[in-house]
Amino acid sequence: MLLEGRVALVTGASRGIGAAVARAFAREGATLVLCARSDAVDGVAAELTTPERPARAMRGDVTDVTFSRDLVASVRKEHGRLDVLVNNAGILRQGLIGMTSPETMRELLSVNVFALMVLTQYATRAMERSPSPSVVNLTSIAGTQGAEGLAAYSASKAAIVGYTLASAKELAPKGIRVNAIAPGLIDTDMVRDVTAAWKERRVPHIRMGRVGTPEDVAGVAVFLASDLARYVTGQVIGVDGGMTP
Amino acid sequence: MSADKLRDCFSRTLGIPLERVTDDLAYNSLKEWDSVAHMALVVDLETEFDVMFDTDDILGMSTVGKAREILARLGVRFDAA
Repeated sequence: MLLEGRVALVTGASRGIGAAVARAFAREGATLVLCARSDAVDGVAAELTTPERPARAMRGDVTDVTFSRDLVASVRKEHGRLDVLVNNAGILRQGLIGMTSPETMRELLSVNVFALMVLTQYATRAMERSPSPSVVNLTSIAGTQGAEGLAAYSASKAAIVGYTLASAKELAPKGIRVNAIAPGLIDTDMVRDVTAAWKERRVPHIRMGRVGTPEDVAGVAVFLASDLARYVTGQVIGVDGGMTP
Repeated sequence: MSADKLRDCFSRTLGIPLERVTDDLAYNSLKEWDSVAHMALVVDLETEFDVMFDTDDILGMSTVGKAREILARLGVRFDAA
């Protein structure tokens, strides 16, 4: 198994890509700590718990600095270290440039960027004793290519790309690899909230002819977290079925 | 005992003799205690004393004495000198 013996923390693990990553990591032998605001994360943890490897759920908001600190402290106390962090928690808000309120902009940056940076600060300190530490950040094709009607969301996801590239350089001497995944159009609850007209315009641009699944993304997360990617850092991998223009 | 552990951490992480680790030893006052070493110190102290520093603590840990104050606030007990 690719992640046997690894302790992995996955945020936004109650549904969609986060839950798919948790399931894929469990299949590969990882010991999981799952976090989300929703109590649905308890069900995911229960589903993935085995007698050999209990999966633990922690409900909370990663924009709360104290929660993030306590989350990592509890992982370190229980397991002695952290091997893998998957920064998946995020929100999507649609709106034309002139119709996006300052509150919406702040909310996007708070959840998608600020929370990711704070959790990374704490988590990478707990990774320094890991034999194979890896951070996987979830950005978006909107962050690498831009998407009309999603300017603020695109900006928040582009910030993740910058943070990933800089973190990879700074943490490489410590052996901590930092990479990002940029999903295209993926069939999740979050994307289902976007208008049908917006999606219909984009599907013809997916050269593989279908919307992606959370499992399509989870496979790449397993790769990046595992030793198969032991010499891979500072990369942004598109998982978009050839949607990139 | 915690006071000895604190000095040991500084000596070990900065690679300096124990006798140089005094309460007024300051960040950036010697080449061994630069920003990279500072973060290594934070990790060593967090592991040794089983605490988690906030970013303000990391930025405010300007001397060995300050480190002792921060750790005491986080619940580490130091014997009276």
